Amino acid sequence: MNKTGWIDRRSLLAAAGATIAAPAVVRAQAKSLKIALMLPRSGFFAQAGQSCYRGALASPKVLSDLGYNVEIVHIDTESSNDVSRTQAEKAINDGAQCVIGAFESGNTIAIAQVCEQRKVPLICNIASAPQLTSQGYQYLVRNFMSGPGLVTNGLKLIGEVSKAANMEFKTAVFLHSNDTFGTAQAQAMEKIFPTLNMPFKIVESIAYDPKAQDLSVEVTKVRGINPDLLLIVTRAGDAIKLTRDMVRQKFQPKAIMSPGSPGLYDQEFFDAVHEYADGFIYNLPWFNVKSQMTQALEASFKATNPKNRFDLDGFNVGFTFEALLIAADAFKRAGTGEGEPLMKAIKATNIKDHVMIGGPIMFNEKGDNPNIGSAAVQNIGQKPTVVYPADVAVAKPILPFPAWQGRK
Amino acid sequence: MKAALSFLTPRSTVALILCGVALLIAPFVVDRYTLSIILLALLGTYLGQAWNILMGYCGLLSLGHALYLGLGAYVSAVLFVNYGVGPWLSVFIAMAVAVGAAFLLGWLGFRFRIEGVYFSLLTIAFAEIARIGFDNWSFVGGAAGFFLPVNAALQDQWWNLRGGPLFFYYLALAMAAASLLIAAVLRSSKLGYAFLAIREDPQAARALGVNINRTRFLALFISAAMTAVGGVYTAFWTNNLFPAQILETSKSIEIILAPIIGGLGTLMGPFVGAFLLVPLGSALTDGLRAIGLSAPGIKALVYGVILMLIIAATPNGIWPWLARKLGLEAREP
Repeated sequence: MNKTGWIDRRSLLAAAGATIAAPAVVRAQAKSLKIALMLPRSGFFAQAGQSCYRGALASPKVLSDLGYNVEIVHIDTESSNDVSRTQAEKAINDGAQCVIGAFESGNTIAIAQVCEQRKVPLICNIASAPQLTSQGYQYLVRNFMSGPGLVTNGLKLIGEVSKAANMEFKTAVFLHSNDTFGTAQAQAMEKIFPTLNMPFKIVESIAYDPKAQDLSVEVTKVRGINPDLLLIVTRAGDAIKLTRDMVRQKFQPKAIMSPGSPGLYDQEFFDAVHEYADGFIYNLPWFNVKSQMTQALEASFKATNPKNRFDLDGFNVGFTFEALLIAADAFKRAGTGEGEPLMKAIKATNIKDHVMIGGPIMFNEKGDNPNIGSAAVQNIGQKPTVVYPADVAVAKPILPFPAWQGRK
Repeated sequence: MKAALSFLTPRSTVALILCGVALLIAPFVVDRYTLSIILLALLGTYLGQAWNILMGYCGLLSLGHALYLGLGAYVSAVLFVNYGVGPWLSVFIAMAVAVGAAFLLGWLGFRFRIEGVYFSLLTIAFAEIARIGFDNWSFVGGAAGFFLPVNAALQDQWWNLRGGPLFFYYLALAMAAASLLIAAVLRSSKLGYAFLAIREDPQAARALGVNINRTRFLALFISAAMTAVGGVYTAFWTNNLFPAQILETSKSIEIILAPIIGGLGTLMGPFVGAFLLVPLGSALTDGLRAIGLSAPGIKALVYGVILMLIIAATPNGIWPWLARKLGLEAREP
C-alpha cells in the first residue's frame, strides 16, 4: 500500500489492537476508587462523627488485606445541611467517584440531592429517617435501619430477652429525653408499641430535659410507680444523671432497657459511673464479635486509635467500615468508578461475610438493606456485651437488674 | 421608584449594574461548587435584608426570626405535600401565617411596652415555643422531620418549585434583587422615614405625629412576611424540615450576622455581609483542609477570630467603610 494512502496495514493492526485493549487499559487506569467520606466531625453531632471517623482510619488496612483499594477523602459536614450540600459539590468536582455519609438524616438528604444530580453513588452509613429511601433517589443506598425499624426490633428484643431470662414484666415506665432524638423515639414508640402485642403495659411516659441539673424528680416519680421495667431513651450526659439519681434513691426495677438509643455505651458514661454502668441493656444493630472481619477491624482499630476502645465505638465504626466495603466491593466488580455502572454494582451487592450482625449485605428496590439485625447488648464488667440472640451472644443476659449496693 | 433609586450616584450605578451582570452570568462561568456558595450568599442577602428592615431601619432587635422562616417553610411544605397546594399560592398563606404570628408578638410587645432587650427576649421566646411545638406536633412530622418528595417525575415542575440548582440560583438572585428594591423603596417612602425616626428617637417621632405602634407593626409585618417567603424557598430547596434546624436560635443568629457585619441599616449591608461571610466559611474549610489542619472545631475558632477582627476594624459594618473607600457613598436624599 502506498505510504501516502490514508491508511496502511500496520496502522490498521495498531488501531485494531488499541481498540481491543482499550477497556483493559481504562480498567488498569482505575486502580482505586476515590471516596468522599462526609461525616459531622464538628458541630452538634461531632461525638458520633468522630467515632465514625476513627472507623474510617481503621478501614483501609482491612480493605487492603481483602484485596480492595480505596482512596478516602475526609470531609467534615459540620453537622450542617448547607455545608453538606456545598462540600458534596466540591468533593465531586475534585473527582470523588462515590460519597459515603453522613450520620444525620438532614445532612444525608442534602448530599443525596447533589449526588442524584451529578449521578454519583451515595452510600449512607448511618441515618434513620424512613423517607430517605422512599423519595425515589436512584443513586442512594442505605446500609442502616430506619427509625421505626430500630424501635420495632428494639421492642421485640425486650420480649425475647425477658423470655430467655425467664423474667416476666407486667408494667413499664418509658422515660425519655425531650430533645430531638428522644422526642422522635417517643413518637415512634407511640405508633409502634400498640401494634406489637407486647406482654407488658406502659403505665407512664415521662419526658425530661436532658440539660437539667439532675433527674431526681423524675426518678422519684418512677420510684412511686415502681414498674417492673424501666424503658429509657438517653444520651450520655443524661444517662449519667439518671444512673446517679437511681443509685442515690436506691431505685432498682427488674430491668432497665433501652429500645434503641446511644448514651449507655459511650466512653463518658463508663468514665463517670464506673461499676454502676453494669446491668443496663440496650437493643441496637451491633457488631458481630464472632466474625473474622470484625476481629480484623478491631485489630486495625487498636493500631490506628490506641487511645480509644473498639467496643464503645464499634457501632459507628462497623457501619462506616461496611459502607466503605460496599463501595470497594462494587468498584471491584464494576471495574470502573463511573456513576452508572458503579451504582448498578452497588445495588447488586451481596456480601455474606461482614462486620455487623445480620444476613448478607444486599439492597432492596428502595435501596435499604433488609438484613440488618439488632442485638441485645448488656454492660457487663463495664464492657458492652452481646447477650441475645444466642447465635451472636457471648454471654447470657443478667436479670433481674443487679443490685446497686456492693458493686466493685 | 425614581425616588427609591435617587441614592445612586453614577459610580454606584455602574457598580450595581456590573454586580448584577456578574451574578447573572455566574452559572455559565463558575463551577457548581462556587455556584452553590453564591446561592447561599444570595439567600443570606435576602433574609438579612428582611431582618434589616426591622432592626436596621426601625430599631427593633429580633433574635427570633427563625420563627417566620420556619412558619413559612412548614406552611408551604405541608400545604404542598398534604393538600397539593402549589408554592406560588401557599406563599401568600405562609406570609399571612407569619404576619399573624408577628401580630401576636407585636401586640404583646407594643401593647405592654416591652422594649429594648426585653422585646428581643420576647422574640426568642416565640421562636422557642414554635420550635418545641413543632418538635411535638406529629402532623408535621414532629422531631423526626417533614419531607418533600424529590422523585424524578417532579423534577421539571418549576411551577411547583421543583428544579435543579440553576433554577434555584436564579430564584435566589431574583429574591435578593427584590429585597434590595423593597428596602430602597421603603427607605425613600414616608413609611421609611417614620421607621428611621422611631429608630433614632421614639419620643421625638411621637411628638412629630408618627404613630409609633402602627409603624412598628408595619415594620414587623413586612419583615415577617419577607422572611416567610425565604422559608418557602428553603423548604423547597432543601426538601426536608427539622424543627431543631430551621427553628433553632442559631438559625436566627445566622440570619442577622450578614446585615450586622455588612452594615446595619444600610441598603447594601446585607449583601456585602452575606457575600463576605458565606465564602469566608467555605474558604476556611477548603484552606484549612489544604494545609492539613483538619482538627474539628478549628474552623469555628478561626471564623470567630476573623469576625471579631472585622467588627473591631469596621464597627459600623463593612459597607460604610467600603463605600467610602470606593467612592460609592449614597447621595443624601
